[in-house]
Amino acid sequence: MTDINSLLTALRMGDSAFPSGGFAFSWGLETLVEDGKVKDAADVLEFARIQLRHRWATADRVMARRAAETGCDEEWSGLDRMLDAMTLASELRAGSCQAGRALLRAHAGLGNQAALRWRRLVADGRAHGHLPVVQGAVWARAGMTIEVLETLSAWTLMSGIVQAAIRLSLTGPLEAQAILGEVTDDIAGILAVRPPDEPHAFTPLADIAVMRHERGDVRLFAN
Amino acid sequence: MTEPLSAARVGIGGPVGSGKTALLECLIPAFADRGTSLAVITNDLVTREDAERLQRSGLIEPSRVVAVEAGACPHTVIREDPTLNLDAAERLEMLFRPLDLVLLESGGDNLASTFSAELVDYWIFVIDVSGGGDIPRKRGPGVLQADLLVINKADLAPHVGVDLAAMTKEARDVRHGRPVIVTNCRTGEAIDDVVDHIVRNVLFDD
Repeated sequence: MTDINSLLTALRMGDSAFPSGGFAFSWGLETLVEDGKVKDAADVLEFARIQLRHRWATADRVMARRAAETGCDEEWSGLDRMLDAMTLASELRAGSCQAGRALLRAHAGLGNQAALRWRRLVADGRAHGHLPVVQGAVWARAGMTIEVLETLSAWTLMSGIVQAAIRLSLTGPLEAQAILGEVTDDIAGILAVRPPDEPHAFTPLADIAVMRHERGDVRLFAN
Repeated sequence: MTEPLSAARVGIGGPVGSGKTALLECLIPAFADRGTSLAVITNDLVTREDAERLQRSGLIEPSRVVAVEAGACPHTVIREDPTLNLDAAERLEMLFRPLDLVLLESGGDNLASTFSAELVDYWIFVIDVSGGGDIPRKRGPGVLQADLLVINKADLAPHVGVDLAAMTKEARDVRHGRPVIVTNCRTGEAIDDVVDHIVRNVLFDD
């Protein structure tokens, strides 16, 4: 598959019209707004950057990449279990699995063989269905190169956070695009260097916010 | 889980406060009486209030009610991207097999909300007389396209200056004869009719 096909596939599967449930997650942002810790567009940019640098680049990217490089059920479920063990906040784990299963459902419906196999692993209780591992496995099978699927994984996280920020009245739609413009450079910078050998993540403010979200009164979002 | 879903799925949509949860509270015991194995998904917009109200109602085992958050996108989660609701239905089916029916309550919305056929087999749109007698005339997609239109709070018509007969006739006219049922969910009036419609059109086991 040529790069242009890989790119077109990414555009289609990364479009917000692709039905995979991404609109329901704020990854801690909703609680941080409730708590007055995130108040404006500058705060949203900082939150997005922290998620990108200290979770996506060091954990999600590593998992997506490894899942894309292997076609083996055992390795997929191993990565999935490792990510589950690494993720402390319950609603982060649940959100990652809910989003991962939604992505599996859509791709299985389109006949993606990796997604069909993955759904069996989840059905048999051999995997949870964490999003980054599912992204790597399913998007590679759909024809994206590693570079393109990594880019799409980072992009969908950033785009999802910024869209949540619009619905939380933190930014307007144009300001949101300006934030995405800023993080585009961050994504490019991260992708220019090799990922770490072992996955790790450290985003305490967001993690605690997600834990507090479990008992929050206001729940527009699943986390 | 990789097997196709076998429980029928019925959507309940409509504006805020029209009586969607109240209708559910009438339908749940009615289906329990029939021996229908039932589960409920709610798409509460801001809180888990509807899900918790049903879980505490004593009408249904609490674990058969799940809330799916819609990220402030009540239309999206039932139409453009119903994957999270489908996922919830699938998980309920895994837990409570055999499951006959999943009732899916949309978050309170406006007249433009419609359900995707990829999500539900049949859907009900609930409006009420206190929302205004002119609602059918506005020909919102919900009013026009629903398999069944319910006009609730019939008893309030004289108190809010609505001619219920005229409102019902207009509803039947704009829907070109497709079913319209006038209910009072507070007293259970005409709930049997709603149940009959679901049984005949969705469960096929009358």
